[in-house]
Amino acid sequence: MKHLWSVLGAAALALTLSATAGAHHSAVQYDFGKSATITGVVVKFQAINPHMRLTLRVTDDKGTRDVELEGHSTNNMYRAGYRDGLIKVGDKITVNVAPLRNGTEGGYMVAAVTANGGRFGVQTAAERAREREKAEGK
Amino acid sequence: MSRTLVTLVAAGCLAASAAAISGQTPQRPDFTGVWTSYTEPGAARGGGPGRGGGPPLPMTDEAQKKVAAYRALIGTSGDTPGGHCLGTGMPGSMLGSGGYPMEIVQRPEQINITYEAHNEVRRVYLGDRIVPMADRVPGRNGHSSARWEGDTLIVETTHLVEQVEQRYAHSDQARIVERYRLTTDKNGTKVLVAEMTLTDPVFYTKPVTDTKRWAYVPNGHLLPYECAEEGWRIHLEELEKKTKESK
Repeated sequence: MKHLWSVLGAAALALTLSATAGAHHSAVQYDFGKSATITGVVVKFQAINPHMRLTLRVTDDKGTRDVELEGHSTNNMYRAGYRDGLIKVGDKITVNVAPLRNGTEGGYMVAAVTANGGRFGVQTAAERAREREKAEGK
Repeated sequence: MSRTLVTLVAAGCLAASAAAISGQTPQRPDFTGVWTSYTEPGAARGGGPGRGGGPPLPMTDEAQKKVAAYRALIGTSGDTPGGHCLGTGMPGSMLGSGGYPMEIVQRPEQINITYEAHNEVRRVYLGDRIVPMADRVPGRNGHSSARWEGDTLIVETTHLVEQVEQRYAHSDQARIVERYRLTTDKNGTKVLVAEMTLTDPVFYTKPVTDTKRWAYVPNGHLLPYECAEEGWRIHLEELEKKTKESK
């Protein structure tokens, strides 16, 4: 899976933003220079195009609420390791997102760690920068 | 004329005559296969000027007004046709189709290009398959015919509809010529080079050019790209709600 990340990372992110982004909620409202993680229980998941849709029930010190997310197209996620059945309602998963620019909770899912620890998706620019810094010993 | 040149010309004539006598068509490059956006060895992925990048385009006043009005309408929403399940259209499709791969199936008289995004298909006709101008149906990808110039496929596309949202916005008078040829890079990757020239007397004061490179994907497959399911599901939900309310 790590191989897929390296191969598809920047390319998949760029292509999703270039044409099929827009979507029902446009990708311009997300900050792809930043990344955040959200952990929750899957309430709803749709592997659709042009963007995956996900609702996570998040519980933390702020309480319990449902967080709406969208993400890369199913086609791009497939090439980044997603396969049918990897995310099911009731699963506790962690998603990596480009956060909303306006600070509202939610974001654009670029990767996920599934209930059994499997991983799929691409890296954000911020993650790539961190990896680069790590590789350079910073 | 030098002796060597005479020899070469004679050999060329002989080969052409032999092909004509045997009824064989000249051997053409085969573009059949799956292709994805090419990246130069060592270069960053996902390059290119993208929407709004690159030098200013030589647009007419009329075109500038139409594009400005469109952008004002879209505002900061970032809306795109693709976001609403509409195909990319030309020349966006041939210039990358949003970064998704494409598949070419080539026959002597017809070449089909399928872009994965939105399952867009272009049918390029050659020779006797070419459709008369009066019978062509306009569309976002227009109507394409082609001919060979040696190893280069020349594709001419007409009957486009006006598309102000394109990186190269154009009117319905646009004509796009693509020149396709095969090369190999230093790593041995098969590369399909597509050079585009867009002429449009309504939108541009001079021709606009761009080049797209595609890398061959050995044993590649396109994925299905269904996009309208969510809209249909929402429609059914609304229908169900109306039905319940009417009872």
